[in-house]
Amino acid sequence: MARSTDGRTAADDRRLVADVLAGDPAAERRLYDANVDRVYRLAYRLTGDPDLAQEFTQESFIRAFDRLETFRGDAKLSTWLNAVATSVIFNGLRKVKRFRQREVDLDLATQRASDRAEAEPDLKERLHGAIDDLPKGYRAVFLMHDVEGFTHEEIGRSLGIRPGTSKAQLSRARAKLRQSLAAFAGGITG
Amino acid sequence: MMDDRSDEQLDEWIREAAHSYHSPPPAPAPREEMWHAIQAARRTANVRPIRRPIRWLAWSVGVAAVLALGVSIGLIIASDRSAPIPIAAGDDPSATTPQHVSAALAVVTTEYLTQAETFLTLFRDAVRTGGASSYASGTARHLLATNRLITDSPAGADPVLKELLQDLELVLAQIAQLSEDSWEGETDLITDGIEQRAVLTRLQTVVPAGTLRGAFSL
Repeated sequence: MARSTDGRTAADDRRLVADVLAGDPAAERRLYDANVDRVYRLAYRLTGDPDLAQEFTQESFIRAFDRLETFRGDAKLSTWLNAVATSVIFNGLRKVKRFRQREVDLDLATQRASDRAEAEPDLKERLHGAIDDLPKGYRAVFLMHDVEGFTHEEIGRSLGIRPGTSKAQLSRARAKLRQSLAAFAGGITG
Repeated sequence: MMDDRSDEQLDEWIREAAHSYHSPPPAPAPREEMWHAIQAARRTANVRPIRRPIRWLAWSVGVAAVLALGVSIGLIIASDRSAPIPIAAGDDPSATTPQHVSAALAVVTTEYLTQAETFLTLFRDAVRTGGASSYASGTARHLLATNRLITDSPAGADPVLKELLQDLELVLAQIAQLSEDSWEGETDLITDGIEQRAVLTRLQTVVPAGTLRGAFSL
């Protein structure tokens, strides 16, 4: 059974959506209040940037309200919102990445040069770097499952993949992270 | 090589340590600020409807304006190349001097750049709101034709304007290629191109402040 953080039932969701579609502003606000923290948290976790998290959260709700009539009620409203949010976040990140690629390339070149001269970064920094280096899908599944506590069913619905694919990607993500940290494994497990 | 137990221990450590990755700040999400932004955006969307038929109408109005502009430019260029002709009904043909032609070209060039700026702003907004940008292709084609007329005219001799017209041509050509089957990323690439070449900023620099921008207004 899908994890429920808000205790809402499918009937609650359908009633709320019907009220919003009927133009009830209080219902709009209830929908927003019930979900905004989770969407913002996910956006922050995937972007690591407060401004982007805020922008993508806003855009997610704008799009969700705009397309609410497409919510069929076969998934929880929060899961449907996650799907909208992840789509907004990934598309947004793609655009941001294109704009920033040049800056990043320059920064990385400088950073790598200075890294070589300095002591090795600590383990958490290395882990963060390894998470950054994960393929986009792996990173999303890893963060959503192992950090944010989503189930594979919820991740599957949000990312448009099968739960089995989510499990496989999580497994590969963990393996890649282990591999990245292998040189330090003794210090962690020993 | 690590055994399974080591893997599990490492996984456990990774799970714990990963919580510090892009860790949201302890302060709550800026709920009210975001809510006001969402409401404002939705109000704007309601004031300026984004459903396809309305957009289609907007682009169509734009097409008419651009077509009229193209005809004007054609007449001016023709008057420059052949015998003097009246620019407007009631004008004295003998008054159509090279200075008049140059002034008229400046006026229509400004009008064209104003329309191009408004069109690209509309297009960018349409892409941002996730919608019917493919309807823009018709207007882009007409703007493209006008763009080429101006590039070939004496007005296109100015190096700054020429460079701007060339960048505009590239963007307009991309938009003109859009169709219902175009993939979503294609419009993103076009708007990225507009940003990267600073086309809108340069248009705003060239177009005098206060110029009427009504051709595409909704």
